[in-house]
Amino acid sequence: MNPTRPPRTPDFEPYKLPPVFETTLANGLEVVLVEDRRFPLVTARLGFQAGSKFDPPYLPGLSESTAALLTEGTKTRTARRIAEEMAAIGGGIKADSTPDALIIAASALAGPLPQMLDLLSDVACSAVFPPREVALRKQNRRQELLAQRSQADFLAAEKFVEVLFAPHPYCRQDPTLESIARLSRAGMTAFRDRHLAPNDAVLILLGSLPSRRETLELIRARFGDWKGRRVPLSPSARFSRPKRSITVVNRPGSVQADIRVGRLAVTRAHADYFPLLAANNVLGGGASSRLFRIIREKKGYAYDAHSAVAPLRDSGLASVITQVRNEVLPRALEGVLAEMRRLGQRGVSPRELAATKNYLNGVFVIRLETQDALASQLAGIRLMGLPLSYLEHYGPRVRAVQLDRLQAAAAKYFDPEASAIVVVGDAEKLVPPLEKFGAVKVEESR
Amino acid sequence: MPAEYRIAIERFTLPNGLRVVLSPDHSTPVVTVYVVYDVGARAEERGRTGFAHLFEHMMFQGSKNAPKGVHFRVVESNGGALNGSTHPDFTDYFEVLPSHKLAVGLWLEADRMRGLQLNRANLDNQRDAVKQERRLAIDNRPYARAIVERWPELAFRNWQSSHSIIGSFEDLDAATVADVRRFFRTYYAPNNAVLALAGGLDAAQARKLIEDYFGDIPPHPQPPRPDLSEPAPVEPRADVFQDPLAQVPALVMGYPGPPRRSPDFYALAMLDIVLTAGESSRFYQRLVKGRKSVIQYEANLGWPFAGPADYKDPGLYGIFLLHKPDYRGGQIARQVEEEIREITSQGVPARELNRARAFLRSGRVRQLQSSRSRAAALAQYEMLDGNPDYLNTELDVLLAVTGGQIQRAARQWLSPRRRTVLEIVPAKDPSRDRQGAVERSEP
Repeated sequence: MNPTRPPRTPDFEPYKLPPVFETTLANGLEVVLVEDRRFPLVTARLGFQAGSKFDPPYLPGLSESTAALLTEGTKTRTARRIAEEMAAIGGGIKADSTPDALIIAASALAGPLPQMLDLLSDVACSAVFPPREVALRKQNRRQELLAQRSQADFLAAEKFVEVLFAPHPYCRQDPTLESIARLSRAGMTAFRDRHLAPNDAVLILLGSLPSRRETLELIRARFGDWKGRRVPLSPSARFSRPKRSITVVNRPGSVQADIRVGRLAVTRAHADYFPLLAANNVLGGGASSRLFRIIREKKGYAYDAHSAVAPLRDSGLASVITQVRNEVLPRALEGVLAEMRRLGQRGVSPRELAATKNYLNGVFVIRLETQDALASQLAGIRLMGLPLSYLEHYGPRVRAVQLDRLQAAAAKYFDPEASAIVVVGDAEKLVPPLEKFGAVKVEESR
Repeated sequence: MPAEYRIAIERFTLPNGLRVVLSPDHSTPVVTVYVVYDVGARAEERGRTGFAHLFEHMMFQGSKNAPKGVHFRVVESNGGALNGSTHPDFTDYFEVLPSHKLAVGLWLEADRMRGLQLNRANLDNQRDAVKQERRLAIDNRPYARAIVERWPELAFRNWQSSHSIIGSFEDLDAATVADVRRFFRTYYAPNNAVLALAGGLDAAQARKLIEDYFGDIPPHPQPPRPDLSEPAPVEPRADVFQDPLAQVPALVMGYPGPPRRSPDFYALAMLDIVLTAGESSRFYQRLVKGRKSVIQYEANLGWPFAGPADYKDPGLYGIFLLHKPDYRGGQIARQVEEEIREITSQGVPARELNRARAFLRSGRVRQLQSSRSRAAALAQYEMLDGNPDYLNTELDVLLAVTGGQIQRAARQWLSPRRRTVLEIVPAKDPSRDRQGAVERSEP
């Protein structure tokens, strides 16, 4: 042992997915069973292609509220009974929507698996959207939105997707006060009837399961009679060409500027995805990334300075996110743009690339420690239309990234000239220094 | 209802006083290295608020063999994740690594336990980072200043507990390199720390590595402990906080809690589950659903800075409620007290208690899935209780709590004269009145 040097340790092994069994029921429901006996728990995801991108333009938040109401009453159970039955088996059930999908998540202690599946199929097929629950949802969602709107990071995220994705429905991922007022029982029932069909769904079940035959029996008995039907197609994947724009969302009195810089990128299925993932990690993926080192550790401009790649089913985002004190805004923004440019122009060293590959592969495994995390990964991958083997191919694909492909991906997707800039803060203080970066559009926070 | 798990635990103490807890479990190829030092924000001195946290940042600024930037680079290039955090009663640091990279985490933790490379430039940029953290997490965020600064002031009388954990800009500016050096000498010693490893490790090999890396770090004199004693509450306390960033009103309520690990500590933990855990709980069914007055809430022994089991006495049972603007804070407080009163007068029906037990059991299994949360709990219990095996035994104690015990604990600890209430109201602003009008016009 030499205490002056980091210890040498063996390379780590590739990820092995626990045993997976896949099948499709007669009504088209895809079923994925994963044996995971580490803990006496079972975890389920039932996912549909019914995310916020299917919301009508005048009704953003419809998918989200439909999801929330699924667990608020069915033909045979009140909201209270659903909550009490679930709690009695040490479980929980909750539905939510992403830009692409509506996902019902359930979990329980392993013994009462049949009861958990009863509840899951009941909320998926037989929700009745009781008027008093709809009314309460509208009241509470309104107040929640007001509370969200008092947060600068919420305003930044909301404006950022609007600027980048318009006119595609990905540009509206949150409701508005007006759309919440328009929510109705009829609207939610119609959304459910249109979008929640077994032939468009995947059921993922993992944990300490009984035998495969017995598990499939339990599933067939509860989901087998569910009738398939035609479901709407995704909105066409047409997006605007990325270009520089600067938008300030005015938040008077803000003591700092919340900055987002970025552009449209690619889906997980695209050939550029893994090179971009590696480029993103070098730029702003962790505490040894360039943004953290320079913007935070060297300059002290920010507490948080990172970059992110967010893949969706039909598109994706590459972005830089940081929050800086008002006085240093122009210097910090220059610093961010310079790091983006430098990565595209100069690329990375072989040593940086090797370190980044290790980091991506290591944290990938670390993030699959819990059943919930594994279930969410599997559901996410499946709902993006990718095979489950994606998880096992992740490591080799990261390893295969070449220096030139990483640099090309950086030059394209972290191109400052093609990136939109959104800043949330006190417009009076922030607009003058921002004008040297281009024309600034100011919007009031709604 | 017996628990279905048992966490392996091996304990030993190095001659320099470092307490070690090992917990091998090969269910995933991941290992967590977790170090906790017995010093937190409650040990700070007047004029140095926020210092424990600023110091935590300095722990990442370089040590003898791992100069600035190396800690982050070595952990991440070995496929690991890392962080540190400052709590009221301790400060912790961890690396989560692929299991055969264990030695990397031990090398880094040992190197910085031995000594730091301190200089003015690093202190200055971390001071800036901490001030930015304060702007981000507190000054620019609704409810945060009320919860982080006003609430402890109102709920505690002893300055050690009532001062700001993040610190004032003035105190942060006053911190010197000499202060950082002194703090390290006082508190960052093997005999004031616990090291816990959980996950894919071999106990014998791990022990050998720990002896090699940490064995020759010299102990320091045992540090002083702050006097945290708090006068007994004699009357309710209340205040109103005008929050210019908030748009929706909120309420904080709190009650001084029972001694850690006492029978009432467990009874109050069960009471908290009955009142607040999940959608079948009383708060959810009666306040969110029934009265439709509350929008969201959270509650815990130890809230807001700690969980139910990671603080030293005295602690508080704290409740935060976001509520509809057509109710006043005082009305919400009365509704909460009615719920408590119903427990003190009628107890908890068996069915409800059984649901709380199921919630507890599954919550515990969920918590234990991650090597990091196992390592954290083991190290904290070793430090706070001298017994990491509570992680195996406390569930049975909680499951055995009876309805009668809950009723008695509620009567004793959550009585109205012991309560502190802080109303957080959106500060007056003409544009807010307009929104209020829209709200009232809705059916």
